Amino acid sequence: MTESFTRRNFLRWASAGAGAAAAGATVWRLGDDRGAASPATNPMTNASGGTRVSRSGGTTPPPAAGEAAMQGVAATTSIEARRLVVVEFGGGNDGLSTLVPYGLGAYRDLRPSTAIDGAEVLALDDEYGFHQNLSRTSARGLAAVQGVGSASPDGSHFEMMRRWWAGDPEGTGAYDTGILGRLADLIGDPAAAAVAVSIGSGSSPALISRTASTLALPNVDAVGYLTGASSDDAIRYAFQQGLGRLTSSEIDGVLGRLREIGRRTTTFAAEIAAMSGDTDEQAVEYPGSTLGHGLRLAADLVEADNGVRIVHLPMGSDFDTHENHRDRHAGLLDEFDAAVDAFLGDLDRRGIADRVLLMTTSEFGRRAGDRGANGLDHGTASIALLAGPVVAGRHGEHPSLTSLDGDDNLVATLGLDAYYASVAEGWFGVPASELFDRDLEIVSGLFT
Amino acid sequence: MPDPALIAHIVRRMTFAARPFPADEFGEIEPAALIEQLLGGSPLSPDEPELGTDDDYSVLIRWWLDIMARPDAGIHERMVWFWHGHLTSSLDRTEPALMLRQHRLLREHALGNFRELLQAMTIDAAMLHWLDGNYSQSWGPNENFSREVMELFALGRGNYTEADVRAGAYLFSGWYVDGENANTVTFDPDNGPQEPREFLGRSVTSATEAIDAICDHEACASYVAGRVYASFVGIEPDDDVRASLATEFRDSGLDIATLVASVVRHPSFLEHRMNRPRTAVEFFLAARAVLETRLDHWILDPMGQVPFRPPNVAGWPGAARWLSSGAVFTKVQLAYDNSWDTVTIDSDEPVDAVLAKAGLYEVSPETRSALVDAISGIESRRDRSTLLHALAVASPEFSIA
Repeated sequence: MTESFTRRNFLRWASAGAGAAAAGATVWRLGDDRGAASPATNPMTNASGGTRVSRSGGTTPPPAAGEAAMQGVAATTSIEARRLVVVEFGGGNDGLSTLVPYGLGAYRDLRPSTAIDGAEVLALDDEYGFHQNLSRTSARGLAAVQGVGSASPDGSHFEMMRRWWAGDPEGTGAYDTGILGRLADLIGDPAAAAVAVSIGSGSSPALISRTASTLALPNVDAVGYLTGASSDDAIRYAFQQGLGRLTSSEIDGVLGRLREIGRRTTTFAAEIAAMSGDTDEQAVEYPGSTLGHGLRLAADLVEADNGVRIVHLPMGSDFDTHENHRDRHAGLLDEFDAAVDAFLGDLDRRGIADRVLLMTTSEFGRRAGDRGANGLDHGTASIALLAGPVVAGRHGEHPSLTSLDGDDNLVATLGLDAYYASVAEGWFGVPASELFDRDLEIVSGLFT
Repeated sequence: MPDPALIAHIVRRMTFAARPFPADEFGEIEPAALIEQLLGGSPLSPDEPELGTDDDYSVLIRWWLDIMARPDAGIHERMVWFWHGHLTSSLDRTEPALMLRQHRLLREHALGNFRELLQAMTIDAAMLHWLDGNYSQSWGPNENFSREVMELFALGRGNYTEADVRAGAYLFSGWYVDGENANTVTFDPDNGPQEPREFLGRSVTSATEAIDAICDHEACASYVAGRVYASFVGIEPDDDVRASLATEFRDSGLDIATLVASVVRHPSFLEHRMNRPRTAVEFFLAARAVLETRLDHWILDPMGQVPFRPPNVAGWPGAARWLSSGAVFTKVQLAYDNSWDTVTIDSDEPVDAVLAKAGLYEVSPETRSALVDAISGIESRRDRSTLLHALAVASPEFSIA
């Protein structure tokens, strides 16, 4: 609907906030009683059924042909300086329309209505290429991690979102923290006001941590209400003093949680108020989308040296393309491409492009076949994208288009936990065994 | 004198508390009698909104908020709102006039029969748009509605198979919203089911029979009862409570009014107080009453809950969503910006007066003393009143349902 789409400008933070916590857990420390930074483990889970993983050595690195194969910037050697921005595609992003297997006959057989022609892709090789609407980010270096999913996938958005948020591909329930919360526990400063920040008013279950502080931030303007009033402005000053008192006690239950979140929000607001913000006249212009606004704020957060290491950003657009897949999906990729292009350009101008990795997540891909109806039902394995200091092109193993599972879905070649682990180890030097309850074979060679 | 905290609890949970307190306005009524009084309340019959301008989207949202904000909005309005968050549809996928049409269905059936409600919603135009039933054809049917009606609307995960999802998609095919004909929902037999399918263990040939199969399923009464219970009591029912609610609900032929009455008459309704945060809309309506101003509805957007626009098919998420730091930022902003035009509290005990007006009878000593100290350096009565309104609305206690 055009009407509701233009409203997005007014609604720019709502989608992000509301979508973020669809399953309704909170960003909340679980308490320090279980010891620091040790993920809950359950030796009875994951005893079998792990996803088989192939290393990137098993595939041929992409040839440097055309803009699509340009490499990302060289990464900083300082692990401490590194930041991670996670963009969440809610609804289920179709891998086969993102990294298009245009050279494979099986692809056109599966997709009579939605196959994308070879002339419309940014070819990486004779078989695969990025959707043409990813041209700007491809030109800056875009990596695709192939076949990411679960060995025992579920068709429910909400079940699969929970698994992605927990980093628990088979839904064993082994973790009571979120994957980004665990990572924040491992890499963050426990004293920081926030190690991981979800942009939007909602908190994401992915950020549930044990020791690190993780918070949500709707926008920068909100900060001035909590902090910084001059004592000359008597009422505002008294209001802020009073707010501080409203957050200062140890109480159980919902009231205690409200007080604690108030306290941490106030502390974080003071940090944000101290953040310079980018007032440079050369400032990069971002698109007016939810993602554009969010990445603009993310750029300030990753530049500021205030302890924030991870920024989580729901894209706020609907990837659930049961109908009108071709146009909708092309529009979604264009929206992503425009915002991320601005973001990477901004990082470059600020001189911090070597420090920031952007990764995407999505609960699942779409059904392998399109029913001849320009629509795609829920699927399984999909493509995840990495931008920043990355080795451009394909990584891991693409799922087979001919050996589908019993529900006509693609079979994952990489567990979503191994995807996270590949980023955690390659980018932050955190071994998989510290983030998960078992060792995982990771995809190496992702980063420059 | 009945415990005012208990009275305030009942009013917060069974209505939108969209009226200023104090609780002594309710006189000497005992909690059990107040519950019965609110159960017996009459549904409102609001005038229709005037759609047809460029501003339909806002007109529609404001229209509903104004209804919910009426002091006489009671249990029926509560359930209209509940069903909107349960049997979702959104302006993101359809037009305001069709959301209004669906809204009328919710008003009609909010305390009626669940089976009739679900049958009506299955072939509602906004729902057909929202979950892709529109023009779904039996030779390649869309699974979206079929999955969600079982997973989220009526049964819960684990009570159906992927084969049921596929069979359901076939059975729900053939319907479309006729854009050439006033968006009339129409069935095209050529595109609908042509033969029976095995669905939830029985042989089914139509959408109507499929909904009947869902409503007759063992899990249906139990699942729906659990959702209604959680919305009033703030926690999931334990197994015994769930089973007894489900039995009563099933025996009543899925009569929603029976279910709601069973839930609020259950002792746990009064026991579980202060145990869940207010959702954004609950907070907004209560703040609007206390601050005596028709708050700008766009503030609901950063708070994450705009009527007619749930974030996804599961509706708005549970309690924890409303505890985020992002919500703190926005509520503080709302409280400060909108406390300037309130009526000045003319009392020698202004803290008590404002807390009572806000329905806060269970405040912590810390909150009370923060309010007392905040006004200690403020001379004017007007400024004290403004400050107390702002702090009361920003207090953690006001964020609790």
